Amino acid sequence: MKVPELVKVSLEVNGHRFEGEVEPRKTLADFLREELGFTGVNLGCEHGVCGACSVLLDGAVVRSCIFLAVQAHDAKITTIEGLAKGEKLHPIQQAFLDHHALQCGFCTPGMVLAAVDLLQRCPHPTEMQIREALSGNLCMCTGYVNIVRAVSAAAEKSRISEKP
Amino acid sequence: MIPLLNLRLARPEALVDLNAIPGLSYIRSEGTEIAIGALTRHREMEFSPLLAEELPLLAEAIPQIGHPAIRNRGTLGGSLAHADPAAELPCVLTALDAHLVAAGPDGERVIRAEDFFTGFYATALAHQEILKEVRIPLDRRTAGWSFLEFARRHGDFALSEASVLIFTEGSSNRCTSARIVVGGSVERPLRIESVEKLIEDEISLSSQASSLADILRRAEHLAETEIQPGIAGGENSDYLSHLTGVLVRRGLESAMERWRKR
Amino acid sequence: MTGAQWKGQAIHPREDRRFVTGRGLYLPNISLPKMLHAAILRSIHAHARIVSIDVAEALKVPGVVCALTGEQARALSKPLRPLIPLPVETPYYCLAYEKVRYVGEPVVAVAAVSRYVAEDALEKIHIEYDPLPAVVDPEASMKSDAPLLFEPLGTNILWHDCFTYGDVDGVFSRAAHVLSERFLIHRYASTPLETFGCIASYDNSRQYLTLWSNDQRPGQAMPILAHSLGLSITQIRLLTADIGGGFGNKRKPPYLVLTALLSKLSGRPVQFIEDRRENLMGLVHACNGVMDLEVAVAGDGRLLGVKVRDIADEGLNVLNPTVHSLLKLGNVTNCYEIRAVRFDGYSVMTNKCPSGANRGIGKPFMCFAVERMLDGVARRLGRDRIELRRQNLVPPEMMPYTTPTGELIDSGNFPETLNKLLSLIDYESFHEEQKKARSEGRWLGLGLALAIEPSTSNQSSYMLTTGKRTASGAAEAAMVRVESDGSIQVVLGDVGSGQGHQTAAAQIVADELGVNFEDVQVSPYFDSLVSPWLYTTGNYSNKFAGTDVGAIQGAARKVREKLLSLAAHLLNSSPEELELADGAVRSKKDPKIRKTIQELAQVAYRDLLALPPEMEPGLEGRCYYRAALADLPDEQRRVRGQLFVSNAGHAAVVEVDIDTGKVAILKYAIVHDCGTVLNQVIVEGLVHGATAHGIGAALYEEFIYDERGQLLTTTFVDYLKPTAVEIPDFKTDHLESPSPYTPLGMKGVGEGGAIPAPAALANAVENALEPLGVRLSELPLTPERVWRAISLASKKTE
Repeated sequence: MKVPELVKVSLEVNGHRFEGEVEPRKTLADFLREELGFTGVNLGCEHGVCGACSVLLDGAVVRSCIFLAVQAHDAKITTIEGLAKGEKLHPIQQAFLDHHALQCGFCTPGMVLAAVDLLQRCPHPTEMQIREALSGNLCMCTGYVNIVRAVSAAAEKSRISEKP
Repeated sequence: MIPLLNLRLARPEALVDLNAIPGLSYIRSEGTEIAIGALTRHREMEFSPLLAEELPLLAEAIPQIGHPAIRNRGTLGGSLAHADPAAELPCVLTALDAHLVAAGPDGERVIRAEDFFTGFYATALAHQEILKEVRIPLDRRTAGWSFLEFARRHGDFALSEASVLIFTEGSSNRCTSARIVVGGSVERPLRIESVEKLIEDEISLSSQASSLADILRRAEHLAETEIQPGIAGGENSDYLSHLTGVLVRRGLESAMERWRKR
Repeated sequence: MTGAQWKGQAIHPREDRRFVTGRGLYLPNISLPKMLHAAILRSIHAHARIVSIDVAEALKVPGVVCALTGEQARALSKPLRPLIPLPVETPYYCLAYEKVRYVGEPVVAVAAVSRYVAEDALEKIHIEYDPLPAVVDPEASMKSDAPLLFEPLGTNILWHDCFTYGDVDGVFSRAAHVLSERFLIHRYASTPLETFGCIASYDNSRQYLTLWSNDQRPGQAMPILAHSLGLSITQIRLLTADIGGGFGNKRKPPYLVLTALLSKLSGRPVQFIEDRRENLMGLVHACNGVMDLEVAVAGDGRLLGVKVRDIADEGLNVLNPTVHSLLKLGNVTNCYEIRAVRFDGYSVMTNKCPSGANRGIGKPFMCFAVERMLDGVARRLGRDRIELRRQNLVPPEMMPYTTPTGELIDSGNFPETLNKLLSLIDYESFHEEQKKARSEGRWLGLGLALAIEPSTSNQSSYMLTTGKRTASGAAEAAMVRVESDGSIQVVLGDVGSGQGHQTAAAQIVADELGVNFEDVQVSPYFDSLVSPWLYTTGNYSNKFAGTDVGAIQGAARKVREKLLSLAAHLLNSSPEELELADGAVRSKKDPKIRKTIQELAQVAYRDLLALPPEMEPGLEGRCYYRAALADLPDEQRRVRGQLFVSNAGHAAVVEVDIDTGKVAILKYAIVHDCGTVLNQVIVEGLVHGATAHGIGAALYEEFIYDERGQLLTTTFVDYLKPTAVEIPDFKTDHLESPSPYTPLGMKGVGEGGAIPAPAALANAVENALEPLGVRLSELPLTPERVWRAISLASKKTE
């Protein structure tokens, strides 16, 4: 069986449909960045350790640098660019701003999406649960202190708003 | 796999994505066994009430696999077929005496976990076989259990890990058998039979604290000695065997604690 | 409202918003039409002669446009100039020429339509090497039989000098106690998450180079590029957008030259971005090294003198060695009053990645050695380690205090820093806590370290190692302009990488001009055609407080004066009778008599005949600000190496798992003093991040080479950065001892936390293992190293 040179990929990113033809070896990260223009997906290591490339794929956080674009056929992807609704930031983005949970910002897209994934699964995490959930996202600037505070605050805020 | 591709350390001519195969993702109780499909994601196993209830050793190990993003995509079959001796699942499933169902062009066959891992990243899978299912026997004699690992950071591959199971008969106070499997800096998960024998011979719930402590210290030394030749390390193999001994001891302490609480 | 309304406000950096929505303009996100992508084939040997290079097959790969070898680079560019003069020439180009000298050294570069294709092409390049013996240990490298990296040099020792201040020999011969210890530090690096990259676009028709990069020292990059490429500075335009972390690492003129050459050859823009493996192998490592420290102590505990013999392993760094050494020299007495100093320093080459700037540059090692030694002195004299330190601290009454090496500690209250630290870590109750833990079989320890954290490098200090005067002083430039619609634009010379420069600058300008913070726009980007800049322009040595602030304020003041003069003219008043507030210039006596800044701008740019006859149109101020404290080395070779001195105290409570050697941080307290705090939010963030770097260096990060010079830690799987689980929450407090020498009293803060952290942790671990008599003088404190130290100590007591 001859392996095709280019494979058709059709997927949804941030609510919009996109199509492309890619080499099988092209990573999802490169496809999102180069072909589709989602440069909010950052590359920090390209071996699945730093988490900077994290996106939501069918609702769950994954590392797009070790995901092949062809594997994302028919998937629904959310990148950082798709989180805010127009000018209105996602509560976690807002919490990051409120707590200065970033400095250079390079880890931020991945970190925010990992936090979104966490609060989806576990709406009221303890501090240790937050730290464990984010331990797959490296930050070289903040020492994580403000990041943990931001996620905690976002969880608390949603808990308060949940109360009848 | 993909990290190796990105680093250009692996150059397969073709890659087959198994994710498209339907019907291989499930966690089912089948009487005396739990059956888990090979494409079940770690994340599903992590949140499975069935596994938490019936296979607490497995449930204890899964959250220690990498990070949430890894667990979202990683699968049971993938982890086992990759056969990294520092991964959690090969060690745990060997301890649980799991039976792995392999499927290929010539049909299906069952391979015991103990026989499945043959070396560094090497398994008993034949050239065109894939893993289809894992069957784990429910052993009602399980009295105590523990999974421990030692890594430099949270989520890292284990420098050493130990799965400990203690069995008893009925409401007996004595330990009738044990299964102790270690992994980490070895080529494949290894059973520590000298310690299993010690536990079977000497451990009971009524052991005095001091004699228990003594038994456990001996267990640690036995484990350290037995694992030494199997350690894949250079100058630091003494440290790695020592770590293994420590984890075996601590695993036994924890398993005993759980037994006591039952 | 007038005056300092914005100074001291905890405003969250406005930069954050674009980052949190994924709109950072990082180098990898910049794309030019027809842009090619470069990939570099790197040496697989630590030391070898290059016998032949064959790129013929590579050039045939579809999509490959050109390739460049070291020979071609030599023909097309001048060698990169080294900082210190060497007895013979050691030509260094952007690609290896004749020899390779470390694993990862760039040998051939290829430009192609995509990075994928460029890397495919690398696989088709054939290089024949003749391997040579490699040397990886610095002390071995100093021996006469060591393999030489540059044969004509005849040695691998790039620099050796001995500095003596005060009566060192006399002090040591008379002292009641002399203690000595050998300390070792490993290689590590700050590894910003975004790797180094650049895009060169060489216009062959007019010989003009446009270069985008995330290099953090544009002021240095420009002349280096110009010299190497045979261009004048007017033929180069250097642009820098958002930088995803710098910490000193983002400096690599050879890559800039390389990419420029590829662009010249191909006639198209070329982008090069390191991947992580290239970054870990070949960008920069902090020097590893060996330090023998001796301290002379009086019977009553006074520290009388210190002698250091320091060997810094610079890897293949012929371009700018000795930087670490000079900073260690400047920090040798730390916060203490020690009058006699000898510093015998070596900079040595080995077959490893070049050394360079990193968070702390040498100061973490110096602090480690001194603070560890102090605990040792206390133990030997049977004194309390806190009281011994307190006794020897430079007291606040002596500020500004000149150290024996000529550093000026401009301000600081070290005893108060110490007091606050003890309170923050709850020192009083720790002894009981430790006793109780020990009885339960738990090994808890508390360690602390004090550190001076100097900032703002004085270029003159390099005269000590270069012997020549090519650069001196410390300076930065800025421009403030009121636009024709009254809005306010600020352009900095400096570049930023997350320190909130934009926000800080806006605060300063808003205060100067009496406007709303929101009305000041600060350009986040550097453009050599637009930004005022000098050689010293760039982000390094935490110089924002020392020079950038002065430049921003100076530029704003020029605009302020002009606004006042113009308003005075239009209002028939005098500048002394007017003030700037609420976006207008108004009469002090009757605020209703005013001209808004918009109205003034209208005149300055459009209604020109309303200007006073001698006044130029426009409302722009430019300031090239130099720090007055910078001096030249004197005949005794004393110099102010870094000009404004912050300080801090770190304390850690750790638990050591005696069976595995693992160290867990239970509590970590930081008291810092960076003078006037312009923005608490920014300052605290930097303190956290720098401390995390120190913890990472102390416990997790290590570049490991085998004896053949192969780097074993080439990915983030092996090179361990601390994650959110390993870094604890920090308890922080601060003092403000304003500097008398900076415009707002601010001092540097970006680097500080990385300096005392390793010392505090090592002291804590030793304290935990005190009953076993464990001594730790080597970093990092990996579980294995700690366990072996425990085993060794246990054997001794058996």
